[in-house]
Amino acid sequence: MKNKIRTFLTSQGMISFIASVASIAIGLIFGYILLVCFNSGQAFNGLGKILFAGASSAEKFSKVLYQAAPLMLTGLSVGFAFRTGLFNIGASGQYTMGTFFALYAGLVLKCPWWAALLAAMLGGAIWGAVPGFCKALFNVNEVITSIMFNWIGMFLVNLLMANIPAMLAPNADRTANLAAANKSGIIPKWGLDTLFGSDYINISIFITILVALIIYLILNKTTFGYELKACGFNRNASIYAGINAKRNIVLSMVIAGALSGLGGGIYYLSGTAQYTIVKSLLAMGFNGIPVALLATSNPIGIIFSSIFVSYIQVGGEAMQPEFAKEIIDIIISVIIYLSAFALLLKGVIRKILSMRKAKQGEGVSQ
Amino acid sequence: MIVVADILSATIIFAIPLLVVALGGMYSERSGTINIALEGIMIIGALFGCLFLNATDNSGWGGKNPQLAVLLAILIAGAAGLIFSFLLAIASVSLKADQTIGGTALNMFAPAFAIVLTWAIQGQGQTTIGIPNWIPIKLSIFGLKASENPGFFERILFKNFYLTTPIVLLILVVTVFVIYKTRFGLRLRSCGEHPQAADSVGINVYRYRYTGVMISGFLGGIGGLAFTIAAGSGFQSTVAGYGFFALAVMIFGNWHPVRIFGAALFFALFKVIGSYTGSIPFLPSFTGVKSADYIYQMLPYIVTMIVLIFTSKKSRAPKAEGIPYDKSKR
Amino acid sequence: MSDYIVEMLNITKIFPGIKANDDITLQLKKGEVHALLGENGAGKSTLMSVLFGLYQPDGGSIRINGEDVKINNPNDANALNIGMVHQHFMLVEVFSVLDNIILGVEPNSAGVLKRAEARTKIVELSKKYGLSIEPDALIEDVSVGMQQRVEILKMLYRDNEILIFDEPTAVLTPQEIKELMQIMKGLTAEGKSILFITHKLNEIMEVADRCTVLRKGKCIGTVNVADTTVEELSRMMVGRDVQLVIDKKEMAPGKTVLKAEHITVPSRLHKNNAVKDITFDVRAGEIVCLAGIEGNGQSELIYAMTGIEKMSRGKLTLNGTDISKASIRSRSKSGISHIPEDRHKYGLILDYSLADNLVLQRYWEPEFQNRGFIRKAKVRKYAEKLIGQYDVRSGQGADTMVRSMSGGNQQKAIIAREIDKDPELLIAIQPTRGLDIGAIEYIHSQLIAQRDSGKAVLLVSLELDEVMNVSDRILVMYEGEIVGEFKPSEIAVEQLGLYMAGAKRDARKGLSDNEGGEGNT
Repeated sequence: MKNKIRTFLTSQGMISFIASVASIAIGLIFGYILLVCFNSGQAFNGLGKILFAGASSAEKFSKVLYQAAPLMLTGLSVGFAFRTGLFNIGASGQYTMGTFFALYAGLVLKCPWWAALLAAMLGGAIWGAVPGFCKALFNVNEVITSIMFNWIGMFLVNLLMANIPAMLAPNADRTANLAAANKSGIIPKWGLDTLFGSDYINISIFITILVALIIYLILNKTTFGYELKACGFNRNASIYAGINAKRNIVLSMVIAGALSGLGGGIYYLSGTAQYTIVKSLLAMGFNGIPVALLATSNPIGIIFSSIFVSYIQVGGEAMQPEFAKEIIDIIISVIIYLSAFALLLKGVIRKILSMRKAKQGEGVSQ
Repeated sequence: MIVVADILSATIIFAIPLLVVALGGMYSERSGTINIALEGIMIIGALFGCLFLNATDNSGWGGKNPQLAVLLAILIAGAAGLIFSFLLAIASVSLKADQTIGGTALNMFAPAFAIVLTWAIQGQGQTTIGIPNWIPIKLSIFGLKASENPGFFERILFKNFYLTTPIVLLILVVTVFVIYKTRFGLRLRSCGEHPQAADSVGINVYRYRYTGVMISGFLGGIGGLAFTIAAGSGFQSTVAGYGFFALAVMIFGNWHPVRIFGAALFFALFKVIGSYTGSIPFLPSFTGVKSADYIYQMLPYIVTMIVLIFTSKKSRAPKAEGIPYDKSKR
Repeated sequence: MSDYIVEMLNITKIFPGIKANDDITLQLKKGEVHALLGENGAGKSTLMSVLFGLYQPDGGSIRINGEDVKINNPNDANALNIGMVHQHFMLVEVFSVLDNIILGVEPNSAGVLKRAEARTKIVELSKKYGLSIEPDALIEDVSVGMQQRVEILKMLYRDNEILIFDEPTAVLTPQEIKELMQIMKGLTAEGKSILFITHKLNEIMEVADRCTVLRKGKCIGTVNVADTTVEELSRMMVGRDVQLVIDKKEMAPGKTVLKAEHITVPSRLHKNNAVKDITFDVRAGEIVCLAGIEGNGQSELIYAMTGIEKMSRGKLTLNGTDISKASIRSRSKSGISHIPEDRHKYGLILDYSLADNLVLQRYWEPEFQNRGFIRKAKVRKYAEKLIGQYDVRSGQGADTMVRSMSGGNQQKAIIAREIDKDPELLIAIQPTRGLDIGAIEYIHSQLIAQRDSGKAVLLVSLELDEVMNVSDRILVMYEGEIVGEFKPSEIAVEQLGLYMAGAKRDARKGLSDNEGGEGNT
């Protein structure tokens, strides 16, 4: 029995989980130290807000779920790309493109919400395909391409929106009110708003959880997923196996882009948010990275890590005005940084285990 | 002609931050570490450089010794970047983590930290750090009087002349010498090309990789300050993607200092050209399109992409870059 | 005191999970050539790495010239005048020969390089020891032979007296090997002492004075080469009698399985073609071997045959079907199996499980998937069958992550996968590279079993022993062309070496019957 417990505790999954939890704990401690530095009197209160505000009321919790939905999708986008060997730092641009396609479908074409969501996926997919092609055909590093396209996407969307009057609100710095223009474009609530007592909730969280499960199935149970991961792990060997590596790189980025695009659609078709013409890249895309890293790119894990990140973000907003909500971003960045230590921790554990085996005489080969 | 002079002047001023950051990226990659965190490093450098300039402005000392203040600000910006990059070095070299993880974390940390610190110092909601107006180098320093209607050369040189420009150009010259003519440069390059070979002749690969990353931090910090000065409207916790631009410049320049200079000028030109559509006859100004300046804002990024598509196949990156060096794997 | 210049006494070195050196004692006399013999994994490289300061011993001591020393890094070793030429050259490709030689000991004033000074010394040394080099050529442009001379000059430049050579002949032609032996004799004549790691018995007999044999981390003994035989050394190395010549029955080759005609493949590195108008065939029940030095077009030819690279000209026929334009997968489906030259790079996905790797060539078949969903149970059953049949050993059976398996077992997994497909043509490229004698014997027996059951085998090998023992027909490749065709019984190794080095060539090329061969040279 002891052996079984030890095997479970030291399995890959468990080690990853422990490492993630440790990273979160250290990140929060670091955040607390920062709070103390800036306003020691209120620091304890601030920490309390971070830890508990999200659960303090049904309304607050509904906001957590509401914001977790698009975050889950960008997290899936980054995580899916990671699993197939690519770093999708372009989630923000794909998210923005998805938003544009969704709002165009909703405001101008007056489509129902589900059609607009499909449009969002299309927009994101296109924006993911380009870095994919550049990498597959021209060997341009996908990180730089994605970043360039984040900016190109943002400016392009701003440009298009400025020239399509139907999409803009009267004062033209944000998109028109969806409820007024096309009620069928809003994602349904199915009574959740009365349940939680808040306008900020709809079925999007269910949609995204379903998507996460589908992605999990694809990655782990299908031949398609087998090929994508093979390409990500070892491009040469997968070519030898007859897999079309170039096609798979593009497909991976297309799927990742579609996921982020869907995220944009989910957020902006809610009826409560309007897209503001911005000068800086949307954070939702970048926040997908810590969500994916915390869950080691496991789709099921991403469900939980996205809810966690959304949770502390709600806490961060509640912390204002005593503290800047950017402190949450600092905490998140510390958590990402610590995931580098997580690898070290896993390596150390593995070494200890194999040295024990050697002493028992079971030569582990190198 | 005056327009050409203005364009050249603006191009140089925007090329300088690209150049110095790309050179920083080159030091890091030549030693074997891909430095994705240049964006964050620039922000940190700009943050501390601008805070210092502000402080000297408020105390009055800065107005009386402007260029000395600027010089100190440059050094502080570099130092801040160097210390910040140390974090990247730990994660990438010692912990042998995926080099994109450490870099991404730093890129997220920097702007958030900048906003938080600015709030704390300037009061809530004040997220811009203004820069003093005594920074530019004017003709009066040399004892000459500025003319009413500046001519061609006077416009190029003195319309936007800051101390950062000659300093960065000096760094360029020093870099060419150091990389190819010194023992340090030879050893640094060997760590990025074939760390096992370097190790086998007794070179401490870890130390050189740390040094490469920290030099990139120092230069990146200076670049951040140079960018903020060039942008002219104060520090707003962002460098608009310049950290990644610089990586593109580095790749386009095939990791050679002089070629990087040419690449930086090339990209800066495209960034600048959008503001001069009215004055240059052959540049379309898209009068029918609303908010047409977005088109020109996209231009440098699109041009970067086109260039990368054409040059990436033949580019010759340092052979061992991005691969953490592990002594036990021989 | 003693006439030993180096004494390694009771050296023990432990890595996680393995005792690489177990209480080994090795003594080197001044001016001698001392061979260190053992199979792959016996601990030879580890022991020399300890001497060179790359590793620290966990037990034992080292004496140089009778004095106890601690060697913590290559700088210490260098200070004691110990130098090492590694098996995989430690040269920076984009640096010049000069820069590579001076790296780490650069003459300089305040950090600024003084290359002229170095150049003079290097040219002098090169003349004195007869090691011809071009100081300004880039390493990526020079031959393997010159690269090795650069490595030797590195040691001489540093005034090293104790020279360690790690498997130096792995990449050389028979002629270059002879030259190296001469160079070694010249070095000892000048008073240098040489330690020479190898697993090649005949080289030891030719050049070494004494030989220490290691097996599985332990020292078996030290002998005078003049007093011993190849058989005795081999027995000490392996611990049992080894069949040095493989027992192979005569086979009469059957129909033509593979026909390659006028194959021309462009090179990625330069403007000329890598493979120039090659024509040959492989028949059922025979093993054809492409022999030659690495870099003469063998890799490109195989890439063209498997479909990884495109031919610019030529026709490939498999059992009568034209597969010249077929995709990699359809060639695999038509009956070609392929054991690639680098198992980590091309043969396996190290982060996948053993089971997932074993179905890498078949996962799309209806047996293993159903409408796109993998049939995990069936995959597992198949994997377990292969593991049992081919004796593939691993930590957790079918679930083991392949990265943690030993090289020999990884190779067995690949062979299991490829042979179980029951291919018409089995292509094996350097299948025994880096493996110990047990694994090598096993793989050779598998290749011969394939041939005996009437299949066709195309083997690419750099190991002359393997070429001579295993193949039925040898095709020598040089600079992209077939320059000779022989049966092993018809030719001696030295002659083979001449063809491999391009010093000789025949008009007849590659076809098994006497027709064809556009005899123009």
